[in-house]
Amino acid sequence: MRRGGAWVLLLGLLGVACLVSLAVGPGGLPSRDVLQFRLLRLALGILAGGALSLVGASLQGLLRNPLVDPFTLGVSSGAAFGASVVIALGAATSVVLPVAGFLGALVTILAVYTLARVKGRVTVTGLVLAGVIMSFLFSSLVMLVMVLARQPLGRAVYLLMGYLGVAFTRGSVLLFAGSSIVTLAGCGVLMAYARDLDIMSSSEATAQSLGVDTGRVTKVVFVVSSVIVGLVVSFTGAISFVGLVVPHLVRLTFGPAHRRILPGSFLLGAALLLLADTAARNLVPGGLPLSVVTALIGVPFFVYLLRRKL
Amino acid sequence: MRSPVLLLPAVLSFLAGGCGRSAKPPEPGLRVVSLVPSVTEIVYAVGAEASLVGNTTYCDYPEPARHVYKVGDFMNPDIEKIAALRPDIVFLSLPVHRLIAEKLAEMNVRYYVSQPTTIEGVFSELDSVGCLLGAGDRADSLVRDMRAKLDNLPGYPDTPSVYAEISVVPLMAAGAGSFVSSLIARAGGRNVYTDPAQEYPMVDPEHVVRAAPEVILILHPEADAKEVSERLGWAQIPAVRDSRVYDHLDLNVLSRPGPRVVKAVYMLGDMFHSKPAAGD
Repeated sequence: MRRGGAWVLLLGLLGVACLVSLAVGPGGLPSRDVLQFRLLRLALGILAGGALSLVGASLQGLLRNPLVDPFTLGVSSGAAFGASVVIALGAATSVVLPVAGFLGALVTILAVYTLARVKGRVTVTGLVLAGVIMSFLFSSLVMLVMVLARQPLGRAVYLLMGYLGVAFTRGSVLLFAGSSIVTLAGCGVLMAYARDLDIMSSSEATAQSLGVDTGRVTKVVFVVSSVIVGLVVSFTGAISFVGLVVPHLVRLTFGPAHRRILPGSFLLGAALLLLADTAARNLVPGGLPLSVVTALIGVPFFVYLLRRKL
Repeated sequence: MRSPVLLLPAVLSFLAGGCGRSAKPPEPGLRVVSLVPSVTEIVYAVGAEASLVGNTTYCDYPEPARHVYKVGDFMNPDIEKIAALRPDIVFLSLPVHRLIAEKLAEMNVRYYVSQPTTIEGVFSELDSVGCLLGAGDRADSLVRDMRAKLDNLPGYPDTPSVYAEISVVPLMAAGAGSFVSSLIARAGGRNVYTDPAQEYPMVDPEHVVRAAPEVILILHPEADAKEVSERLGWAQIPAVRDSRVYDHLDLNVLSRPGPRVVKAVYMLGDMFHSKPAAGD
């Protein structure tokens, strides 16, 4: 019964976040003409916050590491780099951009995993360090590519720091709808691996002895996570720390079972990102990049986890 | 030791309208490098191009400026190429050229900072550059001529609201603090982004729709009038409804604080008030 109450609370929080996000904005009170913008922004926020948090929860379970998420592993920056390359080449068509984001994300996640694997073992700190290194590398490369291509610097900042204020056209709304379906399907695939993640989050040896094909699970989670992060980042840019904080909060309430952590992370991630976005766009005239707000929440939390775990 | 002189607004207004008693005629064989496309345009406009020994790949107007020795592009000029030209004066812009400025100061080369943000600032800069290059009279008559043309602008009966977009991902506008915004004001337009502290603010699409601009200027190559009209919710903006979204504009004319500002103001005036005015 306690758990049922928590679900209601989570849905209620998301509901409140949706209402706040629809009610408050630089366009003033929610009239009809302003609402259509806020509804699209709402959809983008739910998808980005939800999917990034669900991916964060999956990666934390798979890698037995409380400090990882798409941002700390450098995967978001890798996706941003993929996107920046096609923008610089002038080839940023609606299909090419997310594919480039996916490839950037996949290359990064594989590179980080390989870097962190020493003598067949992946340590908690090794993985985070490898992620930080790749994140630095790709952030610099994004800047390099954008400067070389004489792109406005604001555009590079947006790619690296996140933003939900996309000016949608009819074509890009269709693309967004398609991307949402793929992203949600990806989330569904990760959910299907919830039990495997439960077993793997205890230890890899236990998992193997219980008949889990750990290699296959790792591959699937990596590829699906890269697809999701690549798609999300190609719309919103890289958003920091939502995928890190949210799964922990959900685990505190729902315990260690991934069949609850994953959907719980989606709901809470969506709610938190909407609230962060509402703050980012209303606190300062002209708006702040989203990661400014999410980092202010996420960094203290990251420090807390680091102190507790090490 | 010669110290660098900054062409700050106070200095500019003091110099405006003549070279003053202290001005000496420039020594013959003066060697000048311009890292700023608008200053390159001024050098040609005052007829001092014989002094110009180097400029950047961005300096593409007037046509002969393309064939001057290139010291790099605007963002990354090469200090060694500049030094090898043994210039007497270097025109540059801050903060882009801060490192170059520091090096020039070490080498005892005079440099001048150019960044007018208003039309008056452009006139002052024309005067100052003219004086430095021994073409003060040419500059004077040019400024008089430009002022006269601006005074001849028709009295516009209306002041349409204007949204000037400089980037679409993310959405950014030219704010009241930008140079193009001062041109918009002079041409009888009213920028919908009025905060003078913001040069190029990031903007929210819903705010643009709320502001309901009567004219939209697309000041970047990534969108055109058609794309703007296809943006969801933008069809109701008066500018879109009345087909007053202007794209494929000559961005060099509109963004450079140089001798073509009058042309820019007339261009904008024509767009804002639809009826063609007598241009230059």
